[in-house]
Amino acid sequence: MNNRQARMFAIAGTGLSVLIFLGLTLHSHSKFDELTNAENITPQVTHGKDVWHKYNCINCHTLFGEGAYYAPDLTKITQHRGAAYLQAYMRDPSKFYDENKHRRLMPKQNLSEEEITDLIAFLDWVSKVDNQGWPPRPILVTGGFIPGSDSVGAVASGEGTAAAAIRPVTAADDPRAQGEHVFRTATPACNACHSTAPGANMAGPTLAGIATRAAELVGSALYKGNATDVEGYIRESIIAPSNHLVAGDMYSANGASFMPIGYEETLTAEQLDNLVAYLATFK
Amino acid sequence: MQYKSQSVAYWYFAVAMTLFGLQLVFGLLSAAKYLGPDPLLYILPFDVTKVIHTNLLIVWVLTGFMGATYWMVPDESRTELHSTKLAYVQLVLWTLMGVTAVIGYLFRYGTGNKLLEQPLPHKIVIVICMLIFLYNISMTIKKSGRFTTTEGVLLLGLFSSAVLFLPALLHYENYTVSIFYRWWTIHLWVEGVWMMIMAAFMAYLLIRLSGADREVMEKWLYVIVGLVFIAGILGTAHHYYWVGVPSYWLPIGGFFSALEPAALVAMSIYAYGAIRRAGLGHPNKLALHWTIGSALFTLFGAGLLGLAHTWPSVNKWTHGTLITAMHGHAAFYGAYVMIVLAMITYAAPSLTRNRPESGSSLGYWAFWMQITGMFGMTLSFATAGIGQVYLERIMGMGYLDAQLKIQVHFLMLIATASIFTIGVALFIYDFFRYAPRFISDDEPQLNVVDARSNA
Ligand code: HEM
Ligand SMILES: [Fe+2]
Repeated sequence: MNNRQARMFAIAGTGLSVLIFLGLTLHSHSKFDELTNAENITPQVTHGKDVWHKYNCINCHTLFGEGAYYAPDLTKITQHRGAAYLQAYMRDPSKFYDENKHRRLMPKQNLSEEEITDLIAFLDWVSKVDNQGWPPRPILVTGGFIPGSDSVGAVASGEGTAAAAIRPVTAADDPRAQGEHVFRTATPACNACHSTAPGANMAGPTLAGIATRAAELVGSALYKGNATDVEGYIRESIIAPSNHLVAGDMYSANGASFMPIGYEETLTAEQLDNLVAYLATFK
Repeated sequence: MQYKSQSVAYWYFAVAMTLFGLQLVFGLLSAAKYLGPDPLLYILPFDVTKVIHTNLLIVWVLTGFMGATYWMVPDESRTELHSTKLAYVQLVLWTLMGVTAVIGYLFRYGTGNKLLEQPLPHKIVIVICMLIFLYNISMTIKKSGRFTTTEGVLLLGLFSSAVLFLPALLHYENYTVSIFYRWWTIHLWVEGVWMMIMAAFMAYLLIRLSGADREVMEKWLYVIVGLVFIAGILGTAHHYYWVGVPSYWLPIGGFFSALEPAALVAMSIYAYGAIRRAGLGHPNKLALHWTIGSALFTLFGAGLLGLAHTWPSVNKWTHGTLITAMHGHAAFYGAYVMIVLAMITYAAPSLTRNRPESGSSLGYWAFWMQITGMFGMTLSFATAGIGQVYLERIMGMGYLDAQLKIQVHFLMLIATASIFTIGVALFIYDFFRYAPRFISDDEPQLNVVDARSNA
């Protein structure tokens, strides 16, 4: 190969690649709206995106896996957490996580209520973009599919009990944050059998989406219990698990749920309220 | 230094080295936050230290490119620069842009768009600086009438970098579309046109340092550039995997980006071949270390570690984890940091007074400590990233809990980053400890005779 041929190779190769790339770019433009549900980009969503940019969220978090790796990916966060939870969380993250336990904490951003609402609208739009089903398995913020995997920190910190790994809460905290605490500390711990990840059923069914399922269920003919609303259904499932059975041989037999009973005695009325409030956020 | 106007390069290098030092301060701060807890949570949170860390990198590497170009073009075209005044105006404007941007970031004044955080006024100043720069260089070449292939590749790389910055100036309503065009700037820079810049500097250095035959080197330069673009342009698709664009980008990204290492292999063979066939031993062996080091580290950081996670079925699991940080650090360092340091090391004996041409032992310490430190940092990110992928992505442990499990790798990161930082501090000290040569315009031209004038 001589110099001139080498030059031709470079020019022709580059030219051809540019042409193909531009052609595919044009074609992609005809698909963007459909893949991203562009009709759902409301002024709220757009404002939410501006909030996302204004507070530099991308330099700690990732969205579509792009950003910084210091904080969890938020692509599907609105499918894991209800709006009420997210609203409360963004008012003050320190009410939900303890920097001394996780060694990291999101600084409070002083967002207005409207900014938070729109941000959630934006994140909800993101979660519905058709992105080849990524992530292949849900990316959780805390907890895990593996029973007890989120309490191993307790051993490391020498405190012995599983509960110690979990951030202590006080009565001043948001009821939902206190409810999450109960979820992990009740005896037996709810998270020993239930995950809050979509599709991750353990000994018990996943509680992801429980509020939505409950709302559909209570009015329907399939429902056998006494509750009339979502909170009522969740409360009933905790204290009287056999009133309504989730289908499946791994969950019940002979009309009795495998879930332990006795939470009515071991939990205080307030703890029960908080637990219900927490679980009702899983839309 | 054969042409006195080349001395502008000194000031570009001086600014670049200062910002490099500052970049590492913010890098170390960010790493410390991975260990946590963070006493600066409300003063200097992670997002601020991180954005400053990456922006300083881009600004100083570009400053280095510009300085190196101002150094190289007079040599290649055998003429003085068109205007040193313009070069200084450009440097002042550019530095002001960089410094005010960083100060702004301290107060969260930025676009919040990864790597393109510069506010619009700053982006406009960047474009103005690029225009001044390209004008000045083009006029220099035009006046001389001598235009080498190496120079042509360099110029085309610089010009295309400016053009590819333009999509970053636009506003996109749809977040996915904005991601799509963000990569036109970022990916096509680092895996496209900056590769041209790097390859041109490398060709220049190899020709001067090893006396390699220009005909042969320039032929291979074309081949390398061709390979870079054939793989790199469609390889952009490896950033289009999970962001909401059509699925045909998946196989395209996998196939073409897997070809990207070919150009890097070619570059390493080219560098190795040049020193094997070397007709002439230039005394500046330290610059040769940096040059060959750059080719090899690029092959490792960009080629091997890029390849490691570029296939869609792998990237599905590693995307958005510390695996990306592993590759980003090694690739950027090998390709762009090392080539700028090579140009600086090559030019420094002429730009400063009384510096030994062959480099000092301090210079070698700087080289080896940086290599060792960066290799260690890469391993730390890699082990942390592998842990993260298995625990969080595959086994489904929550993000925060998984991060706790990989703490020990963050300790290792800080330890190796400290070695790296010492290496950089030595380099910066070695650069500044010899005073620059000041040449007033009426003084007769310096009479430095060395191997360079033979080429
Ligand atoms: C000198 C050349 C290169 C440099 C400087 C470089 C730099 C980078 C940087 C900084 C990132 C992170 C970008 C971000 O997260 O916003 C990145 C991502 C990536 N690079 Fe490179 N790279 C180079 C070459 C390559 C090559 C040759 C390949 C493939 C063979 C490659 C594959 C990738 C992939 C797949 C990602 C995306 C990772 C993810 O987010 O999933 N890179 N690169
Ligand atoms: Fe890339």
